Amino acid sequence: MLANYLIGLREGLEASLVIGILIAYIVRTGRRDLLGAVWTGVVIATAVSLAVGAALTLGPRGLSFTAQETIGGVLSLVAVGLITWMIFWMGKTARFLKRHLEDGLEKAIALGKGAIIAMALIAVGREGLETALFLWAGIQASGSTTAPLTGAVLGLATAVALGYLIYRGAVRINLRVFFQWTGLFLIVVAAGVLAYGVHDLQEAGVLPGLNTLAFDVTATIPPGSIAGTLLKGIFNFSPASTILEVIAWVLYLVPTVWLFSRMAFARTPRPAAPVEHATTVAA
Amino acid sequence: MNTSHGWVATRALASRFAPAIAFPALAALALAGCTSNATDGSAKIAVTITDDACTLSATDAPAGDAVFTVTNSGSKVAEFYVYGADGTTIVAEVENVGPGLSRDLVVTLDAGAYVTSCDPGMDGDDIRDGFTATGDGQAAASTGE
Repeated sequence: MLANYLIGLREGLEASLVIGILIAYIVRTGRRDLLGAVWTGVVIATAVSLAVGAALTLGPRGLSFTAQETIGGVLSLVAVGLITWMIFWMGKTARFLKRHLEDGLEKAIALGKGAIIAMALIAVGREGLETALFLWAGIQASGSTTAPLTGAVLGLATAVALGYLIYRGAVRINLRVFFQWTGLFLIVVAAGVLAYGVHDLQEAGVLPGLNTLAFDVTATIPPGSIAGTLLKGIFNFSPASTILEVIAWVLYLVPTVWLFSRMAFARTPRPAAPVEHATTVAA
Repeated sequence: MNTSHGWVATRALASRFAPAIAFPALAALALAGCTSNATDGSAKIAVTITDDACTLSATDAPAGDAVFTVTNSGSKVAEFYVYGADGTTIVAEVENVGPGLSRDLVVTLDAGAYVTSCDPGMDGDDIRDGFTATGDGQAAASTGE
């Protein structure tokens, strides 16, 4: 059961954390009216994944490996684009907060409902199909044993609980600190998604170098261990990474951190007194 | 400063249209990528993985659609791969076969030689075996048979 629990946790963690941060952002910028858009995206992605997973598991037709791999690779790249956009959206807000009061936020940030739905849709949908296929395998097995399904569901539930915790933490901390650090955190997440997408494309044979490893720490951090699960689930860390994955990771991470930091951490001649005040209000 | 502002706005606009573009494309791709689930005479191979062994019910099948039903009877999470004859090019893979689970890997095989691999524990320490797709599939020339 533990092994299946860890799969559920790993598959659900990234989506859960991104959704937690997205909701925290919406709540903190006073746009609760957009929460419906988040849940719309989450529900659609979950329903479509489960339905397609069921059709492929129980129906007369299966999905070829190449198709599944290509869907995974394409969704990863779309996810990197959307998370990057969210990061700079946060950086912009953090920069705005240097000079203005919190209640001016609404006018500063143009949040599109469609963009929020897309964000939630892709965050959940990226690993949704694989998770659904895994769950349906558990449901099929439940005739003889319910342990795998129980483990999988508990793992997913833990992922959701951790997403909720990050939301709770994010609504408590200083607003500008929230944008700065969740932004940096999301950059590392997005870099991991990009590396994962590169790996998918290497497996599909679209990109070369699948067996040219940059490092292999599988012996130290086994993929089935708790540490391996958390690192994979949050940052898409692969203990055996190819050189191309590492190059993509660095090429994304370094310039993005630099651009984001310039935006969100830039020094300002004015003291940020109103923001400090906001801390006590929020707490 | 205004440039980055404009950039963010452009991104926001682009992402607003992203789902409208991405989802029909993916749906089309999913349809094109569908293969038969073995009701029409495609080969069925049962694969049983334990923590230190890997058993295939057959090591050859007619070229065409083959369904590997991968069952994990061990205690570690397992993966199953079908490689090309070189043992490195991935033809197909199924991951997340947790203990007690059974998952299908549907793959269209050209005639030729393949290598199957079971990896209990996902640590690269795998158990390999040869596999042959027989018949007059298009890749027949590449096999040493």
